[in-house]
Amino acid sequence: MTQSTRAFPRRWFDATMDWFDERIALRQLIAASLHVVIPRRAHTYYLGGITLFLFASQAVTGILLSLYYQPTPESAYNSILYIMNQVNFGWLMRSVHAWGANLMIIFCVLHLLRVAVQGAYKKPREITWMVGMGLLFITLGFGFTGYLLPWDQRAFWATTVGTEIASAVPLVGEAIRDFLRAGADVSALTLSRFLGVHMLILPASLVGLLLVHLLIIHQQGLADPHATEEQ
Amino acid sequence: MSDPIQRDPVTPPKQTLPFWPHYVLSELIAWYVILGLLVTLSAILPAGLEDRANPLLTPEHVKPEWYFLSVYQFLKVAAVFSFLGSEAPRLLGIAIPGVLLAMLFFLPFLDRGTKKPARQRPVMLLVVAVTLIVLIALTLWGQYS
Repeated sequence: MTQSTRAFPRRWFDATMDWFDERIALRQLIAASLHVVIPRRAHTYYLGGITLFLFASQAVTGILLSLYYQPTPESAYNSILYIMNQVNFGWLMRSVHAWGANLMIIFCVLHLLRVAVQGAYKKPREITWMVGMGLLFITLGFGFTGYLLPWDQRAFWATTVGTEIASAVPLVGEAIRDFLRAGADVSALTLSRFLGVHMLILPASLVGLLLVHLLIIHQQGLADPHATEEQ
Repeated sequence: MSDPIQRDPVTPPKQTLPFWPHYVLSELIAWYVILGLLVTLSAILPAGLEDRANPLLTPEHVKPEWYFLSVYQFLKVAAVFSFLGSEAPRLLGIAIPGVLLAMLFFLPFLDRGTKKPARQRPVMLLVVAVTLIVLIALTLWGQYS
């Protein structure tokens, strides 16, 4: 057998792959996911992928922050001070989370502009575009809900004026505002509500839509921006 | 081989790249650069913290985050519609951004042209450029007013 002549790690790796192959056809799955071709002229500038990376970074730093954050008006502010001053690399986790939030919105928009300019939203990619718009809305929702959590003056008043925008909607505007705030004013209830949306509802929604977004891209392949020129 | 999905007109084989490892490798390099950027920015300008929230003390310049500032500023600027009635400014201030956002959402159904290369779609480029300029102008106006 050739296997006996191979170096140890290689043999161990192949044996593990064989074990999974027998059960779930792993090599086939990997080949179908990765061994595809893309048009040489599909200039994505890596913008969508960078947005994905930033989301992963937000998930990691956000989970770490949640281990120390205390979501009540009495203790939220002090828990942020504790993260910044006492927790090892706490300042770095929070700062990367804050910068990552801004960069994620910037790269979302750059990705949208790239797709718009290259006409990559056109048939058959209408669904990918609309799912992508949904992802942008969710990302903005992350920014809006996350901003309140430190419970400092900037957070409190930005949320106050931000939720006030909703009241400009005719008829139901004030009802929407009070729903967002969980009351007439920004309060402890608002903080609980924003945290729940920020840590549970939005991440679940984003991951769900993201899977659809990526699955469709995989099914269709990347758009070739010059495909119609040669017809 | 049957291929049920409608694909773009066939791209000649010489004009394709393998996704793995070529594209993935450059993507990973881009991620590494972004990680470096994140850590550098965080080290130079760590996330700040103002005074503890005080519902009784309104600061002088209250503004939403920069990515909502253009809509916020437009809502203020919409006061010019007051000649249409007392309710018009608030109504149009929220309706116009709402309609524009809905149009962006349904863009693939509004722009039915089949041409893709940017230089063959001057109108679309113009729309993108004007939208960007207006959004940036409103944001800066909101920031410095």
